[in-house]
Amino acid sequence: MKHTSPYKQHLASLAAFVGLALGILFFRHTVIDGADEFPSRPISHVVVWSAGGGTDIANRVVSAEMAKLLGQTVNVTNRPGGVAGSLGMSYVSQRPADGYTWVGISESCVTAGVMGGWQERMDIWYPMIIGGSPSVISVSSESSINSLTDLIAQAKQRTINAAAGGSGSIHHLNLLAFERGVDAPFKFVPFPGSAPAQIAAVTQEVHVVITTLAEQQQLISAGKLKPLAMLNESEYAFSENLIIPSAFVDFPSLSEHLPVFQSIGMAISDDAPDEVKALLSEAFTQALQTPTVKTWADNNYFSLSGRTGDAAKEEFARLESLFTWTLNDMGVTKISPEALAIARPDASE
Amino acid sequence: MEGFFQFSQILWQLVSNPTNLLVVFVASLLGIGFGALPGLTATLGVALLTTLTYGFDVSTALLALLGLYVGAIYGGSYPSILINIPGTAAAAASALDGYPMSQRGEGAKALGLITSASAIGTFIGLLMLVFIAPFIASVALQFTSFEFFLLALFGILISGTLTGEGGAVKGWIMGMLGLFLATIGRDSLQFFPRFTFDQPALDSGLDIVAVLIGAYGIPQVIKVLSDTSEVKSKASASFDSMKQGFASVYVGVLEAFKYIKHVVRSALIGVGIGAVPGVGEDIAGWVSYSAAKKGSKNPETFGKGNAEGLVSAETANNACVGGAMIPLLTLGIPGSAPAAMLLGALILHGVNPGPTLTTERPDFLLEITAIMMLATFAMFINGTILAQRVAKLLTVPATLFMPLVAVLCVLGSYALGLNVFNIYVMLPFGILAYCLIEMKFPISPLVIGFILGPMADESLRRALLVTEGSLFPLLQRPLAIVLLLIIVVMVLSQVPLINRMFKKKKVVF
Repeated sequence: MKHTSPYKQHLASLAAFVGLALGILFFRHTVIDGADEFPSRPISHVVVWSAGGGTDIANRVVSAEMAKLLGQTVNVTNRPGGVAGSLGMSYVSQRPADGYTWVGISESCVTAGVMGGWQERMDIWYPMIIGGSPSVISVSSESSINSLTDLIAQAKQRTINAAAGGSGSIHHLNLLAFERGVDAPFKFVPFPGSAPAQIAAVTQEVHVVITTLAEQQQLISAGKLKPLAMLNESEYAFSENLIIPSAFVDFPSLSEHLPVFQSIGMAISDDAPDEVKALLSEAFTQALQTPTVKTWADNNYFSLSGRTGDAAKEEFARLESLFTWTLNDMGVTKISPEALAIARPDASE
Repeated sequence: MEGFFQFSQILWQLVSNPTNLLVVFVASLLGIGFGALPGLTATLGVALLTTLTYGFDVSTALLALLGLYVGAIYGGSYPSILINIPGTAAAAASALDGYPMSQRGEGAKALGLITSASAIGTFIGLLMLVFIAPFIASVALQFTSFEFFLLALFGILISGTLTGEGGAVKGWIMGMLGLFLATIGRDSLQFFPRFTFDQPALDSGLDIVAVLIGAYGIPQVIKVLSDTSEVKSKASASFDSMKQGFASVYVGVLEAFKYIKHVVRSALIGVGIGAVPGVGEDIAGWVSYSAAKKGSKNPETFGKGNAEGLVSAETANNACVGGAMIPLLTLGIPGSAPAAMLLGALILHGVNPGPTLTTERPDFLLEITAIMMLATFAMFINGTILAQRVAKLLTVPATLFMPLVAVLCVLGSYALGLNVFNIYVMLPFGILAYCLIEMKFPISPLVIGFILGPMADESLRRALLVTEGSLFPLLQRPLAIVLLLIIVVMVLSQVPLINRMFKKKKVVF
């Protein structure tokens, strides 16, 4: 074997070093300029509510379809906690605005600011709305209450305990709007989510429960819950023998306060590059058209929205104003919506 | 009979696909790793695998998820036995007798025991799921806020009576301290900040993993490293056990059948507790352990390496898996945190668990049963093979790998949520835990108090909200009265005077 001189050895290592440096430079170059190849690495999707919940499942179903369309892995994780999903939202908002971190949110997240969870508004997001399930008011199947009129008559005479998720949740807002619409008081009993609230109605710990049809469907099918009315303008044919009437029929004044619709969706930072936003919007829209998502929505009593861009931003702004001012009027906000420059809802809302 | 035929057919279909076998064995191994490493939990594992298995068909995905779930609950006991640091909260009760056994040189046997006990526990849970699921689900739905409060209180008090040389009072003091720590953060009923000192990091309370690692990991590291006499005695004891050969793993595996009475009782306890929504593996181990101790002829040997205690704790936490599936499959309500993840995964795959499941997918219950059976089988085989290798660790003086454990503690508390604040919680908490242990305060009741604290706190306040501040409605609920009586008897049995009066007649439970 030929002996190599020290000089040659030095030269070889120098060449290797230069090669490595060039390689790194080139690699960085492609990464930085590689926006047109977005997404070039796995995407992290952070859902701000816990796994198995409505927001989580909707996000997982849609992002799995988007992953196929984008040809890139999407890792869904849950980061619940804080106030109204503030922990997960703060986390994602502190990540680089490159479209590689998505946040799975719901309408309740709009209250995070006024409840002291964080110092931001929803306008930092570029949202895409998957949709939501309509709200329904139900009692235990063993309850003596058989209709909405029954319930209201009783509420005017005795204390009726109502479960509707946690304080400041969409269900709670539905309850508040419902109270105003039917002009009868209910005692709100907070639960850490829809599932325990529904179980409490089944065990008759509380008299009524307001959550979404998607969340109640299994308990209704099992004959554990008796649905009284839909909290929007249309009735719902749940099965051949069961048509859930609209609450608006017997109480037309409800239309002034309801519906307050669920808006489950996902978002990326609004500072993300425009082409990334456009690409993701496109993938999102396509994902909602896939048979998988459509079948899932049908089976789960979920109505798809599909709004992205300005339309979605508008919807979240409307919800933000509605939610924050309602909570402010209840006197439970930590920071006034005014301080965050959130406008009061129009009289027409 | 027709059902059995159908079941064998489904099982055969699953087994005849080599991919399925590979998936279930790898997932089970992964699960054991997730359980054994501090900071990684069954819940996290199922969550991560949910997305990874999205592309698989339903049964393969479920094989992976259930394989991991069963493996993780089992794997948590490895570090409990080997180094007295439970890998998950569910395995804390297993450390009480498992670690003394391994100190006695019976570590390999202990690992063999838990392998069998876990497998049988899971299997019995499975049988309950198939045969009496609707009945159990209806009982589990008797739980209202009062019962949840009493159950949480029971869990805290019972862990206080079981651990430590300081007696029940010291255990209860620690339980209350755990309850106090659980109040840190915004309360979940009204969002009121408690003990947060305006620190946003404290808003969501102390992280459970940070507390768990601080409480169990750090004190053990300090203790082992500061004990110079340990090196020789421990190593020599372990060498003895090695001389006896690793056959002792098999001895353990077979010996579990000697404790079949304990195994069956513990499995039933595990299934029952698993079926109650929101109550999971962590409390099942303790309740089962206490039942074993109360029923034993020589309760004084518990905590000193009694195999009955180890088997009871270990069977119950694995039987919980089957229990947690009961409300999930019958009503769509998950019975534990990992089961909540499973619910998401099932819906993601187009399966809608609940009462309509039997009409929409009539074979599904049988399929789940077959899948869980395979998962149990994979756990058993993996466990038996792995236990022999892991038992060799015992021949390494603990002082040598404790520094590594210390690093894992820091990594583990940081890894969950990539949150540096968790390390700031974990380290001082670990030092505090060490001091408390030196003062003969048991640490487990504190951890149980911390885990069950939110349930106790929230449930009691909500119950009082519903009854407008009156405790009397509690006495109108049969289940609540039963729980209350159990608590009262348990507390009274710790009072020396009353204890002496009953000494002659044995108090059973």
